[in-house]
Amino acid sequence: MYSNKNTDNIIEIQGLSKRYRGQFALNNVDITVPVGVTGLLGPNGSGKSTFIKTILGLVRAEKGHGTVLGMAWPRLVKKLRDKIGYLPEDDCYILGLQGVECVQMMARLSGLPTTEALRRAHEVLDFCDVGQERYRNVETYSTGMRQKLKFAQALVHDPQMIILDEPTTGLDPTQREEFLDRIHDLAHRFEKSILLSTHILHDVQHVCDQVIILVRGEVRLCDTLENLQRPTQSGVRISVIHDGLRFAESLRRDGYDVQCDSDQELRINVKGSQSLQSIWAASKRESVLIQRMDEARNSLEASFIEIVSEKKHAHT
Amino acid sequence: MPILDLGYRPWTGARSGEWWRWSVVARTGISLVWRGTWVKRILLFATIPALITMFGVGVFEQGTRDESYRIAFNRFLMERNREMGPRGRMSEVKELIVDPSSQRHFGWSNMLLWYFRYPQAFWIVVIIGLVAPRLISYDLRSRGYLLYLSRPLSPAGYVFGKACILFFLLAMITTIPALAIYAGGLLLSNDYGSLLQTWDLPFRILLATAVLVLPTSAVALAFSSLTQESRFAAFAWFATWVVGWVTYLVLTGSAMLNESDVNELHRRWLLISPYHVLGHLQQEIFGLIPEQEHMIGPWIVSGLATVIGFYVAHWRVARMLKV
Repeated sequence: MYSNKNTDNIIEIQGLSKRYRGQFALNNVDITVPVGVTGLLGPNGSGKSTFIKTILGLVRAEKGHGTVLGMAWPRLVKKLRDKIGYLPEDDCYILGLQGVECVQMMARLSGLPTTEALRRAHEVLDFCDVGQERYRNVETYSTGMRQKLKFAQALVHDPQMIILDEPTTGLDPTQREEFLDRIHDLAHRFEKSILLSTHILHDVQHVCDQVIILVRGEVRLCDTLENLQRPTQSGVRISVIHDGLRFAESLRRDGYDVQCDSDQELRINVKGSQSLQSIWAASKRESVLIQRMDEARNSLEASFIEIVSEKKHAHT
Repeated sequence: MPILDLGYRPWTGARSGEWWRWSVVARTGISLVWRGTWVKRILLFATIPALITMFGVGVFEQGTRDESYRIAFNRFLMERNREMGPRGRMSEVKELIVDPSSQRHFGWSNMLLWYFRYPQAFWIVVIIGLVAPRLISYDLRSRGYLLYLSRPLSPAGYVFGKACILFFLLAMITTIPALAIYAGGLLLSNDYGSLLQTWDLPFRILLATAVLVLPTSAVALAFSSLTQESRFAAFAWFATWVVGWVTYLVLTGSAMLNESDVNELHRRWLLISPYHVLGHLQQEIFGLIPEQEHMIGPWIVSGLATVIGFYVAHWRVARMLKV
């Protein structure tokens, strides 16, 4: 098993630019992707897919240089593809081939010998939970099955880095959780570095260690998920059984800054002299049962919207 | 969960070089094409002309020893060369009637040209029309090209891999049977001198195959890459041959009624018809055209078709990668 523990960053690229018909899809981007699972976020048309395709050399960058997995990029981009597994966003398959043949072909394209490619194809199809359907032609697969097949194709050559572009699209909730568990497993047990491009923030929160937000071809944020979710001011998040609004009113009268997310969910900013004891006292006084009390965290969704709208305002 | 599921396991092993990855495209394509019943039937039918030609060579060789066998091939050669008018080689035919063994090269070349020019040209058009339209258009429709090109494979390697599928099929119905005919001729000749007389024919067969295969594959792949609907590509392919052939016949036929010079008409309208262009080139390759009839035009057209065809296919595949 190889490890990328001794390199801190899997991608280090400076000055990356790409234009389509005069419009910048990527505008002088300096990007650093550390080892681990990285979420690549951004609104539609922000340049996520262009960035991924540029890394793989599928789209030629106008400017930019750096290293990917310690190899000179873009000079060695073809060699790099042996070390990268790519799950494309598009629904893509080879007409007429069975699932297992498709995965075997991808392994052979990555240089595995024919027999070994077939053995490996069965192994990763088992891992991706593709059962006997592997013997069916791929054009008969459901969307969810195709996602699993694409994942198997991305893994079959045991890449060091895996790029997943919208991987959970078309999966039912159970399959999605299982899929995210597999990503987690690959990252933490097998030390794969994963770049996950998605619109589903829940997926990012579930598996990612760090987040990069691209807006209009520029990197707006690159930070760890922990930092991003760290509260800007100390506070607590409270779940109550009922009468949350009445309880909020009572706390406001005591001088607390309270925000109600719903009748059961409250966020309370705790200032210097205020204490949690007085919140418990207020609940006893108002006969409101507190079900749970946690440290308040920023939501990823709120941060994402804030960053994206900041940029919009800047442009307008 | 499968009972043998071992979870994810890393893989370590030696990988093949990057330069041969196109062969995976070719091998996968050939295995897919091989599943088609009609392709197998056509390949079977295409062996019949080879057997006939082999029989012809056998009769020729028998004619070198027994005069009564000469009638059959004499008539064949007379008719073939009379059809060509001034381009025919009647003097060699007359010599051959007297002493066939001295004109073995000429006799075999005529039979091989017949084999390439008539039955195999037809089968080539049919088999390419059946196979080639799907080769790239299916990948464009299902976005399969993304899977291929996300591995160490360039668009050029991808197109070359696809072209190799056609090269393989066309070799199965042209090169291999033609070489078998030649080998059969050597075995049937009972004369060591036949090898010295005809040693260049295998090379001419290879060159004739290349001239036939390269432009046809390139044009067929270009058609396939221009659309996601394989039926449009198939239509364009057959239309190119039929329209060119019919136009040539109409233009030369109507002028012949006015008793114009056939050879002049052939030269003037040759480039309109792909079938006649390739036929002319093969005639040149087998050395069956008099010096004064050599033309540069068909070589240029054939070369341009090859270059432009492959360029269009490559350009379309590379262009599809843009987001």
